[in-house]
Amino acid sequence: MPGIYIMAVITVSISAAAYTGLLRIVTPHWRRYLWLALPALPLSAIVNRLIKQPIGEGVAAWAGVSTDQLGTAPLWFLLFLLLLSPLTEEAIKIVPLLLPRARAWLGSRDGALWTGFALGVGFGIGEAAFIAYGIAQSPDYAGMPWYLFTGYLNERFIVCFGHGVMTAVLVTGLTQGRPLRGYVGAVLLHTAANAGALAYQAGWVPVEVATLSLTVVVLLLAVIFERLRRQALRETSPAARDAEEVVLFRRNRTDGGP
Amino acid sequence: MPVDTTSRDTAVVTFRPRPSRGGAWLVAVAVGIVVLMVAPLLPVAGEIPLPILLVNVGIGLLFAIPLLVLAAWIPTMRYELDDEALTLRYGPILRYRIPLDEIQEMRRKNLKISLWSSMRFPGLALFTVPYADEGRVKMCATAAADRILLIDTRRGTYGVTPADEEAFVAAVRARIGA
Repeated sequence: MPGIYIMAVITVSISAAAYTGLLRIVTPHWRRYLWLALPALPLSAIVNRLIKQPIGEGVAAWAGVSTDQLGTAPLWFLLFLLLLSPLTEEAIKIVPLLLPRARAWLGSRDGALWTGFALGVGFGIGEAAFIAYGIAQSPDYAGMPWYLFTGYLNERFIVCFGHGVMTAVLVTGLTQGRPLRGYVGAVLLHTAANAGALAYQAGWVPVEVATLSLTVVVLLLAVIFERLRRQALRETSPAARDAEEVVLFRRNRTDGGP
Repeated sequence: MPVDTTSRDTAVVTFRPRPSRGGAWLVAVAVGIVVLMVAPLLPVAGEIPLPILLVNVGIGLLFAIPLLVLAAWIPTMRYELDDEALTLRYGPILRYRIPLDEIQEMRRKNLKISLWSSMRFPGLALFTVPYADEGRVKMCATAAADRILLIDTRRGTYGVTPADEEAFVAAVRARIGA
């Protein structure tokens, strides 16, 4: 068995456990969102095999461009490749919302945030498995032992978070009546996350720059994630917040102090 | 006041925090860091230069050892109440002294965790931790968010998790005279 499959099992397990843990920590209603990751699992394979691959190969054949030598590809083709994944993946990630049950909690910012996040993380976990399959098909990597794929583990673990935030941006936009803004925001974030890797593949930048650019984007995604959370918290009614709080002791103004 | 959670001397009452799995988490993270840093090198240890091997092991230990030390200090977490102040302690690295006359309010709450945390793990929260709903809270607690006893003072908010919350609050109130 190719070593990448062992690392893929480890990666999927760690990601599933960690993001389930994150959901448990950040929302008391984590169980209602967890299942949303399941219909999102196969979406990466579907969009890659049925949409991105035919379109990418078709355009490359039409333009006479070799996808194995991106360094010699024209700029417009690189831009096309850069946008192909964000445009298609951000759209397909919300397909599970066609299920009425998946739309059950979209009435609030809080529900939209965690619905989107669960869908995105599910997509990311499925993508990790799909990429492992792709790596296993490569003769260069098929014989490598599993423990040499720690870079795959790190990258896929982080990318799951990235997909979660991007989809949260999109779903929040949808529920706020601004679907185009949500979609464009998610596509731009996705494009920024992929730009470093594509520039590296084209031979424009060294791997360190590509890694650094991904790190910067991940930090930006973390900032956006936290902002979405705070907006959702602000929307929570004061009555609901008070219900979660028990005052055990309150000093009278005459008990002391200034 | 339950005997198993407190001990008394002449003036100081000591309260212990409620048990948690914070120590196990710290140890697990420390071991995970070392494994991730070192395990990939073991099969090729004889082929790579010794300095690179040592640097990897060193970086792993640099992160892992502080976590293990923090785990070892968990049994030292305590809340000491005397006639003038409530003191929160964690090993030699944390000591918050809260004068009793500055305490305004005590309330129990499930906090909303922020991503921008300092020393916060499942089952352990230390130092100043930013929360999404409460802002910055000075924590000395065996929980990061669940059932935190918040102590509001004029200088800020403190978060604790006494094992016997009822006795703790009663003792503080008795000392304050409220």
